[in-house]
Amino acid sequence: MTRRRIAIALAILVALCGALPVSLLGAAGLRIIQQRGERASQDALQAIAAQAAARIEAYVAQQREMLRTLAMAVGSEPDATRRLADASLDAPSLGKMRLISPASPEAELPRSLSPEQMARARAGVEVASPPYLVDLSPAMDVCVPSGAPGRTVCATLDLMELQRQVQRIRVGESGYALAFDRSGRLLATGSGSLRAAVLSGEPVGESPIAAALSAGAPAPQRLRLSGRRDMFAGWAVLHDLGWSIAVEQPADEALQGARTALTLLGLGAVATLLLSIGVGYWLARRMLASLELEERFRMAGQIAGGISHDLGHRLVILQQIEQLAAMNDADYLPRIRDSLAAEVGTLRRFVRDFADLTREARPADFTPVEINALAESARAGASSYAEEAQVRLHVSRAPSELWIWGDRYLLERATLNLIRNAIEASQPGGAVRLRIEKRGSAAILVVEDEGGGIPDERIAGLFEAFASTKRTGAHVGMGLPNVKRIVTAHRGQVSVISRAGRGSAFTIWLPAADQSSSPSPPTPMP
Amino acid sequence: MRRLVLISVLFACGSPPARQPFLLRVAMWGPLGKLTPESGDTDSLAVIAQPWVFEPLARFDAAGELVPVLAWRIAALQGGRFQVELRKDRTFSDGAGVTTDDVVNSFEGKARISAANGGLTIESVDRAMPIEALLTDVHIHRDHGGQVLGTGPFAVSAASASELRLVRRRTDPGKVDEVRILAYATPREAFAHTLKGDANLIPDLEPRWVEFFGGVPSLKIVRSPGHFTDSVLFNLRLSRSERLDLAARLESNDIRDAAYGPGECAETKSGTSPAARIPPGAALEVMTWGPFERLGSAARRSLGPRAGALTNLTPLEVLARLRAGQFDLVTVRPPVWPPSAISLAWHSGARDNLNGYSNPAVDRALDARDWAAARAAMRADPPAAFICTRDRLAVVDARIKNPTLGPGDLLETLPDWEVSQ
Repeated sequence: MTRRRIAIALAILVALCGALPVSLLGAAGLRIIQQRGERASQDALQAIAAQAAARIEAYVAQQREMLRTLAMAVGSEPDATRRLADASLDAPSLGKMRLISPASPEAELPRSLSPEQMARARAGVEVASPPYLVDLSPAMDVCVPSGAPGRTVCATLDLMELQRQVQRIRVGESGYALAFDRSGRLLATGSGSLRAAVLSGEPVGESPIAAALSAGAPAPQRLRLSGRRDMFAGWAVLHDLGWSIAVEQPADEALQGARTALTLLGLGAVATLLLSIGVGYWLARRMLASLELEERFRMAGQIAGGISHDLGHRLVILQQIEQLAAMNDADYLPRIRDSLAAEVGTLRRFVRDFADLTREARPADFTPVEINALAESARAGASSYAEEAQVRLHVSRAPSELWIWGDRYLLERATLNLIRNAIEASQPGGAVRLRIEKRGSAAILVVEDEGGGIPDERIAGLFEAFASTKRTGAHVGMGLPNVKRIVTAHRGQVSVISRAGRGSAFTIWLPAADQSSSPSPPTPMP
Repeated sequence: MRRLVLISVLFACGSPPARQPFLLRVAMWGPLGKLTPESGDTDSLAVIAQPWVFEPLARFDAAGELVPVLAWRIAALQGGRFQVELRKDRTFSDGAGVTTDDVVNSFEGKARISAANGGLTIESVDRAMPIEALLTDVHIHRDHGGQVLGTGPFAVSAASASELRLVRRRTDPGKVDEVRILAYATPREAFAHTLKGDANLIPDLEPRWVEFFGGVPSLKIVRSPGHFTDSVLFNLRLSRSERLDLAARLESNDIRDAAYGPGECAETKSGTSPAARIPPGAALEVMTWGPFERLGSAARRSLGPRAGALTNLTPLEVLARLRAGQFDLVTVRPPVWPPSAISLAWHSGARDNLNGYSNPAVDRALDARDWAAARAAMRADPPAAFICTRDRLAVVDARIKNPTLGPGDLLETLPDWEVSQ
């Protein structure tokens, strides 16, 4: 993984850890605010409806009380008709007041009261009609006792004030009120588009609800009427008259505040997240660069230490050889020659190990490699060393050809490294096995020995540079780290299982490839 | 670069989006009747379309001054005569130009017309009929194949018992293209259909109905000064001083406030003298009819000790008693606009002079067309108490940008209304 990718991953991780919980918490909080807002809006509408109902009820009651007072004051006077006409001028809301007796002509009788009601009125009982429309405004016939037997004072109450009060109610930008009679007929409304129903008597969406409400049923606080906006509603009933008042406001308008807050929070969360990622990425890159620099210095120190140690060891041997040579004793010449040859060989391997470190696995150089053939080639390369150590070398091939894409030289170097280590770990007479097999989509190469095994405490740092315990001068401690580097560059993995006294098994997993298709390209070597 | 210029030119030459014709649907109630050029046919709803189809020789502007329409020059002559020169560019809806014969035929029985000095001299047949009223009321028309043609911007395209359709003769972008007059049985029906969107204009509303249209976004309310004044007519057997006292008493704001809604009368705004006392005498009966019941009640109450009976009759009964002189006070609605209209009501022997009012000073001023002097003379010898002039009101489609009501006919300015699409 490149430094850039690591930085992005780290930044996103940190940002998500910070911004996401805050956003979720905020969203939950806003959901609560929204629910409370909904409840508060409905409560407010309910309160407005109740207030309007109380005002209208008080207005109608006041009109009726005024009529009663006037009727009792002048109804039994000889010039009652004239005095009622004069009083009508000062109380226009009572309409035309008239004294009704059994002799009154038909035209004088209130149009919406039945003969039975009129008989009761003349008998001294107050009667009232349901509301009806005169021209464009609602009206209501009321007859009250006149104080004179057989006579009643009737008036047509002008309920234009009801219309005014209802039309005057405005909630927010587009909230309005509606007034219904007992049957659900719309009497007045602040909504211009519904006002035609006042005149035509056609039921509106709320009519059934209003009728049911007058009969004692509960009314919904949220209305979803076809062809209209989703509305919150508050309802109130005028118990004396049997009318109902609805105050409505579009739900989206009522919840506008909560919605705006939610949108702002969402935008804020996204902005914070992006900012966190940006800042985190920048900081992570700086930290990684610093860590990498530190790691390089550490690695350089480790290599320098290793080289100093190994070359120092070789230097001591060469000094001893030099001292032998200085003795000018011909008997020592063969020994001097053999020692020099051994040291040259050691230094050559030393140089080769470093040369391996400098070669990178580049996908462009990859070719199809048959693993069985690779294993055979590695065995051939290690056979002389195995013979020298008196260790048998066996190869267990896969039943069929097993191909991968890779750098054959590097893979063979990695395999040889594992074989050489296995031989070195084996006792004379022991055996080292190379096993090739296919597991799923992976090609497996296992190098097993019968040595003493690796102590548990060493397993964890086995693939780290200069971690070898065999630093006898022939190893620089770069073998297994180099194996891991090569395998990882081929998108593979290397692992070890070791048991004390029973040997170790190093396993290389590589992506298998069909001969006909290309395997996925390897990652560049770190 | 050249290609870019070519593309720009091609785009610039593309046709603009098609304009939707603007249709105005006028909701009214009552019998539609037939559209004729005759004025005074107030029973027919179709009369509202007269000023769009037929044109007079002249119209009154807002100040009450004559403005030529089919004439290009009008000059007042001595003896109540006018000289008129016709415009040459006006045509009837069949394309024919307006001729002297068309004018003579249109004025037949109402005015004497003679050709002189390249123009026409017009003189009213009826001395009490001011010639200004004739010039503005007589619509020049021509009978053509059983149809009556006018020179106005609209022509009738279809007519039925409940609908009259008129289309603009020449397209005028940004103006009303078509008008349909829809006759409903009741005002409630007309209003309900307007609120539903089936119509978008209601002419001549009662002030108390206006509130009903408040807050309807698709409509707006327009008003203009009224042409009639609700009045209480005096029987002329009452002495001049009694009539002066009665006029002073009845023209008070107390009466207006009792009989009308707040701010409903133009006179309330200008203010009047405080209510005067009425001298003792015989009880006075107040006769009323139709829409004047509250005015009658208020008038009777203001009479105090002289208040007599309040009699509510039908218009025909009222007319019969007026002709017989059997009344004391009666509620009436005489015209006050155009200024010359007072001649119709108060000139000696005028057709609409209901109480037989005759005042030589008033007649002289009316004959001289000095309306201010005539009004001053009437104030000194009042035939009636002039109580309340109410605005004329209409509800109009809110897309109309300048919906002014005409100083003369209510909707005479409709052809000039500009619309926003």
